[in-house]
Amino acid sequence: MTDCGCEKAKAELEEYLHNELCGEDASDIQEHLANCSDCSDEHLVGRTLTEAVQRACREMAPEDLRDQVLLKLRTIQSGH
Amino acid sequence: MTLSMVLERPEVVPRDGLGLSLMTTDAIEMRDLFEEQALPFIDQLYAAAMRMTRNPSDAQDLVQDTFVKAFAAFKQFEQGTNLKAWLYRILTNTFINTYRKKQREPFQGTIDDLEDWQLGGAESRTAMTNRSAEAEAIDHLPDSAVKDALQSIPEDFRLAVYFADVEGFSYQEIAEIMKTPIGTVMSRLHRGRRLLRDLLAGYALERGLGTASGQTRTGSTPA
Repeated sequence: MTDCGCEKAKAELEEYLHNELCGEDASDIQEHLANCSDCSDEHLVGRTLTEAVQRACREMAPEDLRDQVLLKLRTIQSGH
Repeated sequence: MTLSMVLERPEVVPRDGLGLSLMTTDAIEMRDLFEEQALPFIDQLYAAAMRMTRNPSDAQDLVQDTFVKAFAAFKQFEQGTNLKAWLYRILTNTFINTYRKKQREPFQGTIDDLEDWQLGGAESRTAMTNRSAEAEAIDHLPDSAVKDALQSIPEDFRLAVYFADVEGFSYQEIAEIMKTPIGTVMSRLHRGRRLLRDLLAGYALERGLGTASGQTRTGSTPA
């Protein structure tokens, strides 16, 4: 199981997910994922986790926060 | 080592008053530019502040402090470089210097040295063996479960995950924001994501998600 590319792929999957690999390494992984269901399932979990975190963290600042910030900047600038 | 790095974080706090008693056109132009460029990040900064402080009122204060400090330091910001990363650096510094003191966690500062088993995530490691079921379960978990899980992992891990996965910062940018070597960023990210995954697998199993029709996973065939 050592020369099927899984070890390398598993080690680099997170960097691949975060676009940290250079073009050549990324395409190696891509190629491996296309042919290895174990690694591509692992990658799917990773992607799903990222998407779930993104979804859960969506947040809008309260309406008046923006006004408060603007007011504060003006107060500071006019020398209190 | 991490602790001393935290302590050595330079303060971005400006001196009071800024020496601007008269409003010059330059100053007004500077303010307009700042507002035009920095204010659009308010929702993102607030979302990050929510993950840091864990409550809306502290998050609002943190965002306000961040803008005040960023404004005071805006002259030093080099136009054309990454303003978002710059703002996050100030946000993170402000959080660490001010708010973290209020809500310090027991092992803060040495979290990178703790073993996984000390963080309590290891026991559920093998909770889900079927990865496509795991992906599906994570996908179906309510946002509240994901938020709870995020809130319960160590802060440095949580921030690394947030910066990479939500904000899309590069490892290098995160290293600069968190003032830590890139290897530490990678380790925090990896361990943070691992812990999250374990926690979410736990939630999913409790809710009967992720095991084909909620039965035991042994011998179940994917539908």
